This record gives sequence, structure tokens and C-alpha cells, in this order.
Amino acid sequence: MAGSGGAAIALHDVTRRFPLKGVPDGVLALDRVTLDVRPGEFVALLGPSGCGKSTLLRMTAGLDAPSTGTVRVGGNEPAAVAGRQGFGVAFQDHALLPWLTVRDNIALPFRVAGKPVNAARIAALIALVKLTGFEGAFPRNLSGGMRQRVNIARALVLEPEVLLLDEPFGALDAVTRRHMNLELQRIWTETRTTTLLVTHAVEEALFLADRIVVMTGRPGRVAQDLAVPFARPRPVEVMREEEFHRMQDSLVLALEPEAHD
Amino acid sequence: MRLARDLRILGLLGTLLLCLAWEAIGATGLGGFTWPPLSRVIAMLADPDRWDLFGRAAGSTLASAVEGYVFGALAGIALAMLTHFLPRLAPGADRLAAGMHAIPTVALAPVFLILLPAGSTAPTLAGIGVAFLVYVAAASGLRASSAAHRDLFQVLGSRPSARLLRLDLPAGLPSIATGLRLAVPAALIGAVIGEWFGAPRGLGVLIVNGMQNFQIVLLWSAVLLVALISLTAYLIAGAIERAVHARFR
Ligand SMILES: Nc1ncnc2c1ncn2[C@@H]1O[C@H](COP(=O)(O)OP(=O)(O)OP(=O)(O)O)[C@@H](O)[C@H]1O
Ligand SMILES: [Mg+2]
Repeated sequence: MAGSGGAAIALHDVTRRFPLKGVPDGVLALDRVTLDVRPGEFVALLGPSGCGKSTLLRMTAGLDAPSTGTVRVGGNEPAAVAGRQGFGVAFQDHALLPWLTVRDNIALPFRVAGKPVNAARIAALIALVKLTGFEGAFPRNLSGGMRQRVNIARALVLEPEVLLLDEPFGALDAVTRRHMNLELQRIWTETRTTTLLVTHAVEEALFLADRIVVMTGRPGRVAQDLAVPFARPRPVEVMREEEFHRMQDSLVLALEPEAHD
Repeated sequence: MRLARDLRILGLLGTLLLCLAWEAIGATGLGGFTWPPLSRVIAMLADPDRWDLFGRAAGSTLASAVEGYVFGALAGIALAMLTHFLPRLAPGADRLAAGMHAIPTVALAPVFLILLPAGSTAPTLAGIGVAFLVYVAAASGLRASSAAHRDLFQVLGSRPSARLLRLDLPAGLPSIATGLRLAVPAALIGAVIGEWFGAPRGLGVLIVNGMQNFQIVLLWSAVLLVALISLTAYLIAGAIERAVHARFR
């Protein structure tokens, strides 16, 4: 495909219409969105509620299909990528299986793929997300932040080609959320997996991403595409830099008009 | 916890009251001569000379009920899995199951008596009742997984068999366990009715004999025995159900 050669994720001219009772044309959720993510790049998708961020992510994962346009991951159809276990996903609803322990939840992708469970890999990931000692605990006995860490570990366990995160920390309180951002930053720096993160939080996007794509409200279109200039590895202090605050203010402003519709 | 204990005490009190009322009505003759006092029924059940008779009858009924229960439950779960993989079969299977259930067991019994080899009416009737209840519970249980979990399995590139084993079945276990509990009395009812229509022995046979020969106390003893067996099995199934619910929800 022209223009997207070598892209890890290539959304080309994607439009998505949802049928709606009483509306002949349905709801136009996404309007001609084109977006490329390079291998090893961390892109944050920012936009007002209802602008189609989740829809875009679901289409990338093959859970939804565009009305027109194409979605390719590593040059392939999303379904093919899912079939070769190329995706790691973590959504806001942690979707841990309540009848499995932390260890078995993280081992699930191995078992679903019919691959032998790599116990050493799982132990290493449990240590990475700082859950050592909780291997045998069930999700109902964990805090919200711990569950999301299990969720992230499960997303990473098969060393996916692409990591898709949809507001993974959306349900957490501000303090836990900032803490989780630090952890994700640390983990991501070790793996450098191609990542598409959907978020509402400007600060989160600036701290984590190489590039921020801002979308307009319904229908969702790409409004801005800006590079984040901060060098990696990023310490927490980045969030106190003047440039960080300047970008934060301008992004909040870019999102603002949509908040009142 | 306190409430649970209180409820248990209330239940015991209620049962005791019922037994006392039974005894009183029987002893005063208020219920007529077909209503013996509870003590006479218990005396007959406690009589060692009768243990052989009751033991063989109860064993036979229990064997029929267990046979029907196991095969009925397996059939119900298998049919639910089949319709799970071939959803087009679901409406037909639902109607078949509902139809089978709508026909009274008593009406089916003579038909099976003619069709089936001797002695298999009781387990068959037990199995039909069980299969329906377990099928309905399993079919809805296999649909109980959350959309988020189904999405996860799809993104993980799960094959249908892996999804059944690792998602749909565990997510459906609470519902299946409830169905299995409700199926316990159905198995015993089916077995006893099957025995009415022809079996060499069993509690159902004792009940019929008691009625035909006007052995009122024998009749009540057999009925009480069925009730006690059913209640015990029901309580065990309830405990298993609670354990499954605690683990899989
Ligand atoms: N399955 C669906 N059926 C019908 N309409 C849908 C469906 N999924 C999403 N939509 C519509 O598409 C639009 C975009 O939804 P989407 O969930 O992608 O937004 P979002 O940007 O993720 O919002 P939020 O930030 O609140 O999560 C919304 O108007 C929504 O009503
Ligand atoms: Mg969303």
C-alpha cells in the first residue's frame, strides 16, 4: 500500500458508520481517518468523548470493521494478526477471568494459543509489574490498580507485535493513575513495543507517547498530529518542565471546544 | 452470618412443628384412618425386619435416579454444547426440549414401558426430566460470558474449542450447577413414576403396593423415604452449587 510501507499500524481513509434507528444514514462515528504508526513508536490518541477512539482501536484489533477504508497491521488484515497472536490488548474493563489466579490470568494467552506456558516469562512479568507474592491471588482480592497491572502483564506476555491500550487506567484515582503511568513508562522503555494508547488525559499522553494524535468530536477526524519532544527515558520531572506545561495547555485548549457540544 | 444461623434455626423449628402436627392429626384420627401418626411411620422405618425390604427398594430407586441423572445431565450439557457451536440448531433444540418437558411424565411412562426393554422405564423417565433442566441451564450458561471477555479471546486469536474450554464453560458453570441442583428432585420423581408403571422393585413399587393392598403405614414410609433421599441429595447439590458460585463468579 502506498504511503504506509513499513508502518506497523496503517489506517487508511477509514470511515465508520453505525446504524441508528430512525436515522437513515446512521451515525457517522469516524470520517476518513488516516493514521500510520511506525514500528516501535508509541502513539497516543486524544479526543473528546464519543469521537471514535475506541472504535478506531477496536478496528485495529479486528473487533470491528470499517465501513470504507482499510486497516492493516504489519501489512496484514487484523484477523490474521490476531490469529498469529500478534496483539496485546488492555482495555478499561480489565477483563481478567475471575476464576483464574493472577498467574493463570497472565498465562492465558499461552494456553489460548496452544503454546507451552513459559513459567519463567510469567514470573519475570509478575516481577516487572510488581505483583510478586500475589501470584496465587484471585482478581476479586486485588485492588483496581493491581488488576490493571495484571491486565498489562497479560497484554505483554506473548511479546506482541502491537500493543493496544484503551484507557487502561481510566477507572483509577489520580494518584494511582500517575503511579501506573510511571510503571508503564518503565515497562515500555524495556520492550519498545509498537503501542497505540487511547486516553482522555493530556498529561498521560504527553508523558508516555512519542506522538499525539488529536481527534475532533463526532464525526471523528484527525485534527492535530504532533511529536512529543521529550527525550527518553523520561523521568517524572519531565512533567514539571515548562515545555510540558505549554504543550499541556495547548492540548487542553484543542480539546476544549468539543467539551461543550 | 447471624441471619443465616437464625434462618437455619427457624427452618428446624418449622420442620419440628410440621412433624408435631402430623403426629397430632394422626393420633387424634382427625385426618381419617389413612393418616397414620408420624411415630408409627418412623417405627416401621426403624424396624430391623423391614430394613432389607426398604434397603433394596431405596437402592433400586436410587440406582435408577442416579443413572437417569448422569445420562440426562450429560445429554443436556452435550446438546447445549452442540447448539452453542451450531446456533442454527438452537431454536429447534429449544422447542424439542420444551415439548418433551410439556408432556407429563405420567403420560410418557406407558409409552416407554412398551418401547424400552424391561427395567429401563425408571432411569429413562428420570433422565428426560434431568436432561431438560440441565439443557436449559447449560444453554443459557454457555451464553453468560461477558462481551469484554469474548472480545479478549477473539483478539488473542482463540480457536472455538479453546474459547469453549477456557471461557464459555467456566463462565457457564454457575448456571449449570444451579440446573444440576434443580434436576435432583426431577430425577427422583422420574424414577418413582417409572417404577409405578413397572419395575421389579423400588420405592415406587412399594408405594403402589401400599396403595393397592391398603398398607397405609407402608405407603407413608415409602413416601417419607423418597422425600428424605430427595432432600438429602438436594442439600448436597446445593452445597456444591454454592461452592461453584463462589469460585466461578
Ligand atoms: N456498537 C455500536 N453501535 C452503535 N454506535 C456505536 C457503537 N460503538 C460506538 N458507537 C458510536 O460511535 C461513536 C464513537 O464511539 P467510541 O466508543 O469509539 O467513542 P470514544 O472516543 O471511545 O468515546 P469515549 O472517550 O467516551 O470512550 C459514538 O457516537 C457511539 O455512540
Ligand atoms: Mg472509548
